[in-house]
Amino acid sequence: MPDARTQPDDDPLWYKDAVFYEVHVRAFYDSNADGIGDFRGLTQKLDYLEELGVDTIWLLPFYPSPLRDDGYDVADYTDVHPNYGTLEDLKVFLEEAHRRRMRVVTELVVNHTSDQHPWFQEARKSRDNPKRNWYVWSDTDDRYREARIIFTDTELSNWAWDPISKQYYWHRFFSHQPDLNFDNPEVVEEVWKIMKYWRELGVDGFRVDAVPYLVEREGTNCENLPETHQIIKFLRRRLDEAFGSNFLLAEANQWPADVRAYFGDGDEFHMAFHFPLMPRMFMAVRLEDRKPIIDILRRTPDIPPTCQWGIFLRNHDELTLEMVSDEERDYMYDEYALDRAARLNLGIRRRLAPLVDNDRRRIELMNSLLLSLPGSPIIYYGDEIGMGDNIYLGDRNGVRTPMQWNGGWNAGFSQADPERLYLPLIANPVYGYQRINVESQLRSAHSLLAWMKRIIRVRKSTRVFGRGSIEFLHPANHRALAYVREYQGETVLVVNNLSSSAHPVELDLRRWRGMVPIEMFGGNLFPRIGEAPYPITLGPYQYYWFRLRRL
Amino acid sequence: MWQYIVGTLSTTLSQFFRGIMGLLPRLVAVLIIIVIGWVGAFILQWILKKVLAWVRFNALFRNTSLIPTLRKAALPPPDELLARLVFWGVGLGFTFLASSSLGIFGLQEEVSKIILFIPQLVVALLVLLLGLLLANFFGRATLLAAVNANYASPRFLSNVVQFLIVIFAATMALDQLGVGHRVVLIAFSISFGAVMLGLAIAFGLGGRDVARRILERQFPEKKKEEEDEISPL
Amino acid sequence: MAEDTFLTDDFVRQLTAVGGVDIVVGLPTFNNRATVGRVLNAIQVGLAKYFPRERSVLINPDGGSTDGTPELVRTTTVEHYETLLAASPLRTFQRVSTVYPIGHGSGLAWRTILAAADLLGAKACISLSPDLESITPEWVDALVRPIYKEKFDFVAPIYRRHKFDGLLIKNVLWPLIRATYGSDIREPTATEVGLSGRLASHLAAQDVWRQTDTSQEGLRLWMTTLALVGNYRVCQAFLGPKTLGRNTARHDIVATVRQAVGELLRCLEAHEAFWMNRSGSQPTPVFGFQYGVAVEPVRINRARLLQTFRTGAAELASVLQSILTPTTLQQIQQVAALDDREFRFPDDLWVKTIYEFAASYHHSVINRDHLLQALVPLYQGRVASFVLQHYRAGAEEVEQHLEALSRRFEELKAYLVEGWTAKK
Repeated sequence: MPDARTQPDDDPLWYKDAVFYEVHVRAFYDSNADGIGDFRGLTQKLDYLEELGVDTIWLLPFYPSPLRDDGYDVADYTDVHPNYGTLEDLKVFLEEAHRRRMRVVTELVVNHTSDQHPWFQEARKSRDNPKRNWYVWSDTDDRYREARIIFTDTELSNWAWDPISKQYYWHRFFSHQPDLNFDNPEVVEEVWKIMKYWRELGVDGFRVDAVPYLVEREGTNCENLPETHQIIKFLRRRLDEAFGSNFLLAEANQWPADVRAYFGDGDEFHMAFHFPLMPRMFMAVRLEDRKPIIDILRRTPDIPPTCQWGIFLRNHDELTLEMVSDEERDYMYDEYALDRAARLNLGIRRRLAPLVDNDRRRIELMNSLLLSLPGSPIIYYGDEIGMGDNIYLGDRNGVRTPMQWNGGWNAGFSQADPERLYLPLIANPVYGYQRINVESQLRSAHSLLAWMKRIIRVRKSTRVFGRGSIEFLHPANHRALAYVREYQGETVLVVNNLSSSAHPVELDLRRWRGMVPIEMFGGNLFPRIGEAPYPITLGPYQYYWFRLRRL
Repeated sequence: MWQYIVGTLSTTLSQFFRGIMGLLPRLVAVLIIIVIGWVGAFILQWILKKVLAWVRFNALFRNTSLIPTLRKAALPPPDELLARLVFWGVGLGFTFLASSSLGIFGLQEEVSKIILFIPQLVVALLVLLLGLLLANFFGRATLLAAVNANYASPRFLSNVVQFLIVIFAATMALDQLGVGHRVVLIAFSISFGAVMLGLAIAFGLGGRDVARRILERQFPEKKKEEEDEISPL
Repeated sequence: MAEDTFLTDDFVRQLTAVGGVDIVVGLPTFNNRATVGRVLNAIQVGLAKYFPRERSVLINPDGGSTDGTPELVRTTTVEHYETLLAASPLRTFQRVSTVYPIGHGSGLAWRTILAAADLLGAKACISLSPDLESITPEWVDALVRPIYKEKFDFVAPIYRRHKFDGLLIKNVLWPLIRATYGSDIREPTATEVGLSGRLASHLAAQDVWRQTDTSQEGLRLWMTTLALVGNYRVCQAFLGPKTLGRNTARHDIVATVRQAVGELLRCLEAHEAFWMNRSGSQPTPVFGFQYGVAVEPVRINRARLLQTFRTGAAELASVLQSILTPTTLQQIQQVAALDDREFRFPDDLWVKTIYEFAASYHHSVINRDHLLQALVPLYQGRVASFVLQHYRAGAEEVEQHLEALSRRFEELKAYLVEGWTAKK
């Protein structure tokens, strides 16, 4: 039982070298022809993921839920939604994953529950119910006024009126998601029990949803409060006491300086998403200027040695533009979401390929950045084959359509009638499953999928990308983004051309003079580095990864 | 005797007439050559004028100072000038050529002397012309500069400059002609010295006040100007 | 431009690193350490504020400063973008500094800027003086926007000037250009101009660059002229008052008249086919709100102007004889004889004087440089008259007079054409 992992690799810092793969059980593979993906289906496709080279699977919520927020409205924390199978199916999946030396990270959505959760049903019965204090209630809707509203497109207030008990309850997200009251020790204890439950079942770690919003205090914006940190420290301590190696990933859509606090002194989260970096990678490629990326990484504070940034290009949410200036947001909207339907809240609801006009060169460049900048990369399912989206499906469903396995019936996703699928497949002539699917890409040595396998393999050939330091070079040409990663005597030079045209660039590599660059994809030797500026010619959107070796 | 006289006379006369008769055809031929020469020169001049007008010869000098220079020297425009030079050159050439062919003793020598003297004369004239032009040019330049720099009596300054240049040019021209080397040099020295002395005296005595005023205006007022004046541009 | 060796290897290398751009900002410098920082900040803020998405580069040709101006240009950064803009710029502010050999005049500076605009494929190219005190970030917008957004090719500035500031432009250059080319350009010799990429390339390809002695004023007038005669869309942008730093050298009146008027007449000669048969003038569109602002008064030493004029009219008679018609000369001499209090150089006489000078320039009646010098005392007489006439006048009244003067220039244009085409 405890720790069902059987991998020989017991490095507690495994997440630093990991390549994450984010997937929703529902969207991957349907084994029972009901139109909805399930754990058995996911288990069947583990070989595909192993082949791809990813080593950690991050599962989106699969708990019983009314599914009004794609499972982020949990109605039972300790079970599996019947759509996705049973707890037994999940256990088999975990075992199979571990057998392939893959780890599994699940969602811990405890800032709020669904309003269908028995706790809330209890709590709203009367004002003196024992569970009443598990949630946040108020007679007026003007408390915590300084807290911003996150889903600006759908919610007008963070308070919702409960007609049964005649009080307002607090919710930071949708009104059907009442926030749990973390000032109540019973709630914290209950959360610990949930974590313990899953860890014992074999889950390797948690991605903790909506971390900054756990605790509310009057007179603050109710984000990143010290009390929130206390609760996390407490849970981490309990976890470390009970289990050997743990993993907590924070979802905190904040500026790097604020996110830094969630690493504590290495006693809170192991990893946190680097939200502001993501839009800036897109911005830099559009501006053809490295400034946005260098600026944001310069403003990123150092983190404790055991901690890691999680970086990503796209995920199941919109491409969030909360952590950019108004000027930058307008630019992103104009360049990446001219179609207003693509905009949602403060962001853009699109997948990677449509964002870059299905330009293979730009898809590759973006992935080159993702896999070579400091942090552990997270790949969103479907992006490895360049799947498209459907911005007319409402909310963020457009980027959550079924995985496209082949060009046949339901894209090979399900044997059900097409009408039964949980969401319609992408079927347009450009991104449709007849054109973009795993099977056809497996047949070609030059498909995007084949290329993704290769670049992941190259990344995993060294620990320098996950653990190394970064030093930016400053060539006069601002279209070139060049940096050197170093770790334990290994040196890798990465040069990216952010521009759509060819450019010469001269790099000051005198610190590494005498070394010979070896291109990491082809293994070819380049001229030895000397005193003079090192000239490289970059084609449109070209990237080079060089291992620098003393020969 | 009479017969001798008559004989001699008739011999002489007949010799004279024979001479005349021998010369006459040559004279007629010479006259014809001269006439043809001048007519040819005229035709040549006419053709040249037409051709030069056709190729817009004058336009070549549009942006140079040649045309105004010639005008200042009371000379015709370049095409006219060239045509006239050709006319006179050809005409005179034919005349000299023809007269030398008369075979008259001594005349040939004189003609060749004249022809040899012509280049010197031309050079001297050119020097003088150039001097006049330069005098005119620098005189005007001095005048304009003096006016714009607010100097007192600009015309006087200009005239001095002009005078000096003319004197200098005249000296050179006479020297070229070989007329009294020494006299010319002495005359030049005297007049140049006189002008300088005159200037010195003029400034030293008569122009004392003027000089003071000039100095006053140049130095102390400069500060005041900067204070109350930016630029009338 | 086959023989483009005037660009140094280092400069070409820097341009290579810049790659293609949308906007080129030219900033020629020579020992401007005291003022260039402010100008540079205004440019950076202006670009970040009004053209945050455009790729831009600053081109700084330096004439061999000894006070460290190029270093300052390379390193000056805006410290507090957040308080100035409530945002930080999206792009890197790129700058290229190059030193051209001393003694090559400002022509090379301009040529460098235009060549950079041409090579980098810029859509707009503007130039600013390094000694501007009154520059604001809005100047960048004012000069670039008409080109970038409205597809104009040439943006001339309009400054808010004191009534006695810029009198050569007001009395000669502006009305003469308006009457001949038919375009109303208030500042034909300004440093602050905007050019489209098309016009910049056209100018860069001209032969005039081989002459190294071209003056600043002459060069700018020449550019304005080429824009006017070359079928380019021309407009004006209101910039506000123009104040230069204290150390800026004051202009010598004789030199300025020779350069500016000389270049104007030279251009008239080169483009006579364009203006000969034109009549009247078209207003040039003006961008920007023309706000009122108190400007530093300009005081002029009238006594000295009058004195120079009178000396000139008397002493230069022999020279003026060959330039002016006897009638005009006689009238000028009458003006010179007037008493200080009733001294007036009438508009019509002034227009005819200018036109006769232009025609005589064309016919080269005397050395052209002498001709221009002979104009200087007469111009001073005109200025004295203008200042006396408007000593107590308001800006509006002066403007009306200038408008009337300019119309007289247009109405009497036949007089110029007649003198110009007459066989002398």
